[in-house]
Amino acid sequence: MRRARTRRGAAAVVGAVAFAAAVPLLGGCGIQETDPIEAGGPASFQAFLNRDHDMLLFFRSPDGGLSPVIRTTEPAAGFGEGSGASGSGEQDLPETDGPVPTEKVVAALLNGPGEDDRAAGLSTSLPAARPGRAVEVERSPDGTVTARLPLALEGLDRTALRQLTCTIAYSQDADGQVVVELTGLDGTSRSGTCGLALGER
Amino acid sequence: MSRVLLIEDDPAVREGVELGLRRRGHEVRAAATGEAGLAAMTEFRPDLLLLDLMLPGMNGVQVCRRVRERSQLPIIMLTARGDDFDVVIGLEAGADDYIVKPARTEVIEARIRAVLRRLDDGGAGRQAIEVYGELTVDRVGLTVTKAGRPLALAPSELKLLLHLCAAPEQVFSRQQLLEHVWDHSYHADARLVDACVARLRGKIEDEAGSPRYVQTLRGFGYRFGPL
Amino acid sequence: MTTGPRRSRFRAFGLRTRLLLAFLLVAGVSAGTTAALTYREARNAVLQTAQDTAVTSFRDQVQQTGFGLPLQGGEDLEFVLRDIARKGKPHPWVVFAEYGSVRASSGENPVSTVITPELRRAARANPHGSFERVVKDGVPYLTIAMPMVFKASPDSLLPSGLVLYAVMRMTDEQLNVDALLMAARDGALPGLAVALIPGLIAARSVLRPVRELRQAAQSMGSGRLDTRIPVRGSDELADLARTFNESAGQLEQSVRELREAEARARRFASDVSHELRTPLAGMLAVTEVLDEDADHLDADTARAVRLVSAETGKLAVLVEDLMEISRFDARAAELNADEVDVAEAIRKTLHNRHWSDDRVRTELPDGIRARLDPRRFDLVIANLVGNALRHGSAPVTVSLRAETRSASPPVLITEVRDSGPGIRPESLPHIFDRFYKADAARTRSAGSGLGLAITLENVKLHNGTIRAGNLPGGGAVFTVEIPRHAEEAGG
Repeated sequence: MRRARTRRGAAAVVGAVAFAAAVPLLGGCGIQETDPIEAGGPASFQAFLNRDHDMLLFFRSPDGGLSPVIRTTEPAAGFGEGSGASGSGEQDLPETDGPVPTEKVVAALLNGPGEDDRAAGLSTSLPAARPGRAVEVERSPDGTVTARLPLALEGLDRTALRQLTCTIAYSQDADGQVVVELTGLDGTSRSGTCGLALGER
Repeated sequence: MSRVLLIEDDPAVREGVELGLRRRGHEVRAAATGEAGLAAMTEFRPDLLLLDLMLPGMNGVQVCRRVRERSQLPIIMLTARGDDFDVVIGLEAGADDYIVKPARTEVIEARIRAVLRRLDDGGAGRQAIEVYGELTVDRVGLTVTKAGRPLALAPSELKLLLHLCAAPEQVFSRQQLLEHVWDHSYHADARLVDACVARLRGKIEDEAGSPRYVQTLRGFGYRFGPL
Repeated sequence: MTTGPRRSRFRAFGLRTRLLLAFLLVAGVSAGTTAALTYREARNAVLQTAQDTAVTSFRDQVQQTGFGLPLQGGEDLEFVLRDIARKGKPHPWVVFAEYGSVRASSGENPVSTVITPELRRAARANPHGSFERVVKDGVPYLTIAMPMVFKASPDSLLPSGLVLYAVMRMTDEQLNVDALLMAARDGALPGLAVALIPGLIAARSVLRPVRELRQAAQSMGSGRLDTRIPVRGSDELADLARTFNESAGQLEQSVRELREAEARARRFASDVSHELRTPLAGMLAVTEVLDEDADHLDADTARAVRLVSAETGKLAVLVEDLMEISRFDARAAELNADEVDVAEAIRKTLHNRHWSDDRVRTELPDGIRARLDPRRFDLVIANLVGNALRHGSAPVTVSLRAETRSASPPVLITEVRDSGPGIRPESLPHIFDRFYKADAARTRSAGSGLGLAITLENVKLHNGTIRAGNLPGGGAVFTVEIPRHAEEAGG
């Protein structure tokens, strides 16, 4: 009797082991869901950025991040129809070779998103610019860019400061890898880098 | 009384039996070998042969056969062995009865008397000569013929046939036959009956394998007929 | 008797079943594991290939496309997306674009229902391509998220805020995977079935020696001591068979020696009694002469002569009994059965022994017939009655009855009771032993000392039994039971 029970117990153990082994092996039949899995880097596309004519402005996207916008200063350019018109406000600075002056770029930024930008859901965290006051940009020998802005920095949120920093940084440096020190009308100053760049792949 | 020829090789037995029988009034001639016994037969003319089975030279069974070749002298075997095999061989050779040694003289004499006794049941009211099929039985002359030819029947065979045909179709058990034919007063060896029936059939039946006159009833015994 | 309960050839958990189960378990686990692992690897490889192809080709496609910033929604964008979707590998995709508040796709709905928030979050949080398999309504999809960047300078990439998604149905892959599963199952199940055959063969090869061993042991038990097992190979079972054979050989040897010794002893007893018969035959023939003439001799001689005569008679009885028992020992005793009237036979036995007076009473119903050896039955009755008269005391009662019990043949029961003190209990087990003296004080009795032993043998020859016991009121009783082998004879 006892031996029979032991034997039956042993058989049950063997069966359980076999079953336990079979479940994970045979259980995962078909195609299973997965978590998001990283697969390589991002894809880079042609954005038609011409540093000689184009300004790179950073606006606020609906999800709270920064979105770069290319705005050309060359009216006759075949691409980016209407961008020049929207960008050409009151300041018609003489055409120069080389990059668009940072003062002009910052002025465009402060002018806020254009029609196309708003259509894509972009906005700005910066207050509307008051005309008349220019932006002064200086680049010191150690590479730091100092910008005097025609508005008070006090009370601006993080996104607004990053808009300014990134726009100035990419205007000054193709890679955007410079330290930007912002000084407001109220004398407040902030310094930082843009930090959006991914580096060369 | 009667003339007994004793063939026995052992001197002590020979002398003892001879002495005992002679004291009882029998005339006894003793022989030590089969050959000497056969030689004494013509001259002594015995009424009965008392024959030891174990003999030097010619053995008892051979002597028995030799005697049966020419006479129907009653033969009683003396067997020193209880060996059933010897008894059967001796009975088949034609012996009428047997005695197991050692035996008292009174026992030996009783057997001698039984073998020599005439059947007394052929008595009054019966015809002397009876005919059963091809068999003719003469109860007075004690002869049996088959189709006119006389049959040489040993005493026990004749007595058995007479007893059976005295009451045709009546069944006799082997025990009854032992008592009436052989005078065995107590239960003896039934093979005595079987051996005698076999010998009798060999002489009176057309085919011993399918007997007509002496029939067997399994489990009960034998009967004469029905023809 | 060693016949146990009937054992069925296939027991529920017999050795064969267990061996088969173990074999199948091992075969099943290995076949199943192999199939499952193979299937998993193959499935992963199929999916991996499809995913890698899709991700790589998606990236290649979108990298050849140009977008203006900010992205403009509308038909132009949809056209571009459809163009990308068409070139989808390994299957056409549906491509979705998300930029700011712009939602566009190459399909009918601008926003996918398949893309999960997790994938979106992953694409927004870090600039890596990523994919996710999603099963929706039983259909597996591969969803790929590709954050788009552009070159702000030759050395610097800048996230554009645009994320492109591709959604691809994995129907073909599912078919492939299903086919793989079928293949694994179809491979494993026949494998298991095929494993059953070597399993049976292996079980048989183990069980055959075991069966042979059992049969050999049974054969030995039933007396065939020369039984041997063929020894095959050199495994443990062969060792077992060899040991069995050696033991059987030794057993056979011992038994043979014992039997030979016993046979020698019996032959000796038989020979001795044989040799005694011839001189006894001479002596017994002349005892009569001695008895008759003793009266004429002087007193001492007469006593001596009578003593010799009497003892010669006893010696003759003893030798006769020894001969009889030797025949039983040599199994030379034959049963010459005849159908008899049992009451008549008993009466005749008593009459012939002159026991018909008051000393022996009978209770013998008529008409009981039985098939037995009359001579041996006569001896049985005579021995029992003689024994009762000698050791018990008169009156002795012989009774006879026939009994029919269910499930056994009808038996004949003969009882011999005496009126003596009975048999002492310690003597009862030995009462049928040869030369056993129940009464130690009486060293020699009138009998040979073999009477009851011969009686027992005679009863056994009839397939019967004999018991000795005591009556409640005193007196010994011997009960003989013999199968009748015969029906009541009518009339």
